[in-house]
Amino acid sequence: MTPFDEAFHASAERHERAFIVCVIVMMALLTVATMFYVVHDFGLVTTTQSFHSDPTAAEREVAAADTGRVVKTGPNSYAVHITGKAWRWTPGVIHVPEGAEVTFYVTSSDVLHGFEIQGTPVNLTAVPGVVGTVKYTFHRTGVFRIICNEYCGMVHHAMIGQVIVDARAAE
Amino acid sequence: MSGRAFTPGPVVYPVETDEGWRPERRMMLLFLIAGFCALLIGASIGPLQALNYDGVNAYPALRSIFHTYYQGLTVHGVLNGYVFTFFVTCGLLVYLPARELGQRPSMALWGACFGLMAVGALSLIYAMFDNSSSVLWTFYPPLKGSPFFYLGMTILTLGSVQPLPILLKMRAAWKRAHPGCVTPLVTYMSLVTMLMWTLAGVGALSELILQLDPWSLGLIGTIDPLINRTLFWLTGHPIVYFWLMPAYISWYGLLSRQAGGKLASDPMARMTFALLLIFSLPVGSHHQFSDPGFSQIWRAILVVLTMSVAIPSIITAFTLGLSLEYAGRMRGGLGLVGWFRALPWSDPSVAAQVLGALTFILGGATGIVNGSWELDAIVHNTTFVPGHFHVTVGSVTAMTFMGLAFWMIPHLTGRKLISRRIALFSVWTWFVGMTIFAIGMQWAGLYGVPRRAWVSALPHETYHALYGVAATPTALIAVGGVILWVATYSFFLVFFGTLLFGRRAERPAVPFAQALSGPVSHETGVAIPVATGHGASVLANRLEHVWALVGLTAVATVAAYVPILWPFLHNVTHSPGWVLW
Repeated sequence: MTPFDEAFHASAERHERAFIVCVIVMMALLTVATMFYVVHDFGLVTTTQSFHSDPTAAEREVAAADTGRVVKTGPNSYAVHITGKAWRWTPGVIHVPEGAEVTFYVTSSDVLHGFEIQGTPVNLTAVPGVVGTVKYTFHRTGVFRIICNEYCGMVHHAMIGQVIVDARAAE
Repeated sequence: MSGRAFTPGPVVYPVETDEGWRPERRMMLLFLIAGFCALLIGASIGPLQALNYDGVNAYPALRSIFHTYYQGLTVHGVLNGYVFTFFVTCGLLVYLPARELGQRPSMALWGACFGLMAVGALSLIYAMFDNSSSVLWTFYPPLKGSPFFYLGMTILTLGSVQPLPILLKMRAAWKRAHPGCVTPLVTYMSLVTMLMWTLAGVGALSELILQLDPWSLGLIGTIDPLINRTLFWLTGHPIVYFWLMPAYISWYGLLSRQAGGKLASDPMARMTFALLLIFSLPVGSHHQFSDPGFSQIWRAILVVLTMSVAIPSIITAFTLGLSLEYAGRMRGGLGLVGWFRALPWSDPSVAAQVLGALTFILGGATGIVNGSWELDAIVHNTTFVPGHFHVTVGSVTAMTFMGLAFWMIPHLTGRKLISRRIALFSVWTWFVGMTIFAIGMQWAGLYGVPRRAWVSALPHETYHALYGVAATPTALIAVGGVILWVATYSFFLVFFGTLLFGRRAERPAVPFAQALSGPVSHETGVAIPVATGHGASVLANRLEHVWALVGLTAVATVAAYVPILWPFLHNVTHSPGWVLW
């Protein structure tokens, strides 16, 4: 090795060690940060309500739970049961009050669908035979769109629903 | 001081003196041409999808070829993601080690590899172009394609693991002739890549052979969507490394020599590959953060494993940067950035690889976003995700393979590139187009624009109501796509032009790099064997035990997947198939 090579190599080894330590610390911090927000915002995480061996049974369960209406489950909490079927969401329009915690129970009765509410972090795969849940509180009134984001065939792009967040009536 | 004190012009490659590798060269050329033909078809379709996001619907005009956007997207994904990468990689990972070791590969096995992959690819092409299988490259059931699709995919995958026995045989023969020596670097990296891929293939192959093949043939009636999705991602995440590792082999094993320098660290390259082997397998289910059905504890463990798999890639960035800095300084580059300007930018092969590596800064960083559980909820299945992987596989892998083709075609055929300028132009336009496209896709994803959606087929008002808010990023997507069209055709002009009309010239030798810290290479530049205990680093010696690494990986993978699959296996869903296109 030439003297330049020697010097370059020595400094490279030193920097390499420092670099690896920095990388490991950075990845550890990122892990802690993302875990913190998961714990802090647990409702946004997809959880599992139930499994069904026959996908049409899951559809029945969701349908039986008063589809089309928002069920009040507590002083300031509501539940909505939604089924994806090519190429529409049932119910297609959901009214929820501003500031209430809404639990979405989502399943599919045919292929995979993706339950995404645009402008929020709500993002859940609708799987036939499994009812998944996610909780979210809408702090802003207006129309939010439910966009299917898992490919489900020819008219997948038009599988759009609506969540309408209504202002609370003045008391 | 003048900033232009460095040596101009490309680095002159050594001339090939060994003319005895005719059958191997021809076979390698066959793999290269087959792979790039797939890219030609796949990449030609890409810009149509980019225009789609800007509201331009070209598909009605193309009805004689594609019935839907989704059919075109299936062809794009399968040909670029599987067929192109598998062919180039399965050629490369046999040819380079054979030349490095001076060992003849088994031509029968290598030929069988090509034959199987060709049959698989043709079967896939048939199933995709007759619109019987518009299931996209992830083919999630219960969407149901034709048996030609699933059987083709099975055969293609089986073909793609054939280089493993060839490599093991060559390495064993070399080890017998060089007792106590560590495996030369390029062979080591190729072997670890193939071990990783063979282990990873277990997921997709069991999905295909146990479920999708018999299901599509009508032998079983129903299937479980979640189990198959999980098995798919058992392979579907490591495939990312099957795309990246061959590019890393070129960066570690060749690029520093092409740039006029040496590899900064040989043991670090080995460690990177060992870490990629161990960490790439257990993490696949991080693609399922949004799925119901498995425990939160395992999602958290997946986050930790996913962050770990980023480490070898960040080390690669360091070692590659350092090797390029060394090359730039040897060429006279001074100061903080002078070494970067002093690189042989007039060599299209170097330019392609360095520019590809630059895009990986964006690709790698967005990958960490995807792997962060909480952030994934925002970007999952939006255009952010394809935005991410177009600056990994679409730039790192594609541009490195384009760069390889620029020295390999002259090396294999003895023909000179027809135009270095057009080659450089194609590389720069690819870099600019892909960067603009990827930024547009990632930005649009933050507005909730879904990936793989034929949004341009929506009524105009609906499109604007939904995605008008993302008008600037979707315009960038279209601009990037159009630039990529120019890049694609200028690249293929050079590729096929050189094959057909290139002037006869001397063959350049394979530009094997020599390590800065390693032993001095002999005149051909082929890596020198390092004797165990003398000169070889402790790390390199430890990492020679590849089967121990394989064992560790297998244990980690089983440990990660049993708890994920457990609830699915106890709650099997019987889904019938659906054909919805």
